[in-house]
Amino acid sequence: MEELGRINQLIVPFFGHDMTFNIGVIVMTWAIFGFLLLFGYLASKSRRIIPGTVQVVGELFINQLYGLTEDAMDEELGKKYGPLICALFMFLLASNWCGMLPFMEEPTKDLNTPLSMGLMGFAIAHYAGIRAKGFKGYIKEYFEPIFFMMPLNLIGELAKVVSISFRLFGNIMGGSIIILVVSHLVYSILLPPFLNAFFTIFVGAIQAFVFTMLTIVYIAVQVK
Amino acid sequence: MTDDIQVWMKVAAFVGGGMAMGFGAIGAAIGEGYTASKANEAIARNPQLSGDLFKTMLVGQAIAETASIFALIIAMLLLFSNFSHTSPLLIATFLAAGLCMGLGAIGSGIGSGLPTAEACIGIERQPQMKNRITTIMLAGSAIAQSPAIFALVTSLILLFIDFTGKPVSPTWAAILGAGLASGLGAIGSGIGEGLVAKSGCEGIARQPAGATRTTNVMLLGMAVTETTAIYGLLIACILIFKNFPAAESIAASMALLGAGLCMGIGAIGPGIGEGFAGQSAVKWIARNEEGTATLTRSMLVGQAVAESTGIYALVISLILIFVA
Repeated sequence: MEELGRINQLIVPFFGHDMTFNIGVIVMTWAIFGFLLLFGYLASKSRRIIPGTVQVVGELFINQLYGLTEDAMDEELGKKYGPLICALFMFLLASNWCGMLPFMEEPTKDLNTPLSMGLMGFAIAHYAGIRAKGFKGYIKEYFEPIFFMMPLNLIGELAKVVSISFRLFGNIMGGSIIILVVSHLVYSILLPPFLNAFFTIFVGAIQAFVFTMLTIVYIAVQVK
Repeated sequence: MTDDIQVWMKVAAFVGGGMAMGFGAIGAAIGEGYTASKANEAIARNPQLSGDLFKTMLVGQAIAETASIFALIIAMLLLFSNFSHTSPLLIATFLAAGLCMGLGAIGSGIGSGLPTAEACIGIERQPQMKNRITTIMLAGSAIAQSPAIFALVTSLILLFIDFTGKPVSPTWAAILGAGLASGLGAIGSGIGEGLVAKSGCEGIARQPAGATRTTNVMLLGMAVTETTAIYGLLIACILIFKNFPAAESIAASMALLGAGLCMGIGAIGPGIGEGFAGQSAVKWIARNEEGTATLTRSMLVGQAVAESTGIYALVISLILIFVA
């Protein structure tokens, strides 16, 4: 039980400020980057009409996620944002699932990861909005329906980042705490595989999908 | 004095454990009963399917019970754990953890019973789609559990974090406020998500060809409905992890308690309201393919407007914590 909430931190003094690095999270994130790069390489190494196993999995991801993006935006924008959405979903899925392996931890369990993903989506959505409507049209949106709604619209936009990142964080953190506590209570007999199947595989996949879906919708709402 | 505090800690653990399981039993029982009633209805209409329907009912009820089992875990922890050190803050912690989990289990219990009930009716109507409907039912009721999971996270953080060294006077109110914010905040979202998932199951049974779009919009609607529960979790996290300076006056404590109450109660209505918006949108998207884009947008806008009262509560809570 002692490992509950413990984080390995590296604190580096930097001109009078302490810079804190969560070592475990950084290592895990890079491990997942490596895994995804390897996966991409293997999937596209020898492309054939009759695909191999890895190529099929890769094509499955690409087809489904491009389809989703194109449904929500349009053909042209879907092609533009498709790669981003694919990468986001595959990263989140690998992050949520990697906690099952021994000595691995979910990077999404640390609020920093979901928050940075949420901020990324926020920045991209608003950039896309400015590109699509022009700066004036973008600003005007905030004064709809009446001008004094501006502060609330602004808070509403910021609350989107909070909600999208805390949703992922809360679910993954909650799942891993439940697995830890229940495994501890039953002395790791019988229950942990089922808990992992539900909280890691099932909830992890759903939350990765929901996060991706919301990012698509946030971009789509801005460009329309 | 130390003996006195130890006695009160015991009292708080007992009361907290009792409240966790007592409140926690409300929601799941209602949800399970609703599932059983709909399963009876389905079996009466189509007795040949009674085996399948019975199985679906039991699986669905098992999922609806998850929230209660969370409450049971917290109650057991409160009753049987030995907490080594004594501190007056632990009294507040035990009460808050129990209240938080108990209240937080109500919404998800009721909510996750709704899709499973509709799945029984759906399988009776469209037996070929059994597997698809079961998957959607599982996804829907699993997401409807997440407000309860947020409450569980708050309770466990409250139980396992070390509050020693923090001043007693405002911190006790922050702890109770955190429990109330997360616990009460989970009620509305749990019910609302159940409403959305319910019409997802129903829609897929009615129009199997539209299963993919119905699923996507259902997941989206549920995610947005969950937002106010997340605000509750956010306020709880701020109240737990922020260091408050010692204050003798009762006003500082009441501001923190008020912040928790404000966010908790303020999240109930928006959660249910957003659930209604999502419910009808998903229902009609299943029936009307051409309207998918328009209906999705009107659902999101409607939910955003319904959520604005939750955002007012969030703003007031933040003002109470950081300004007052």
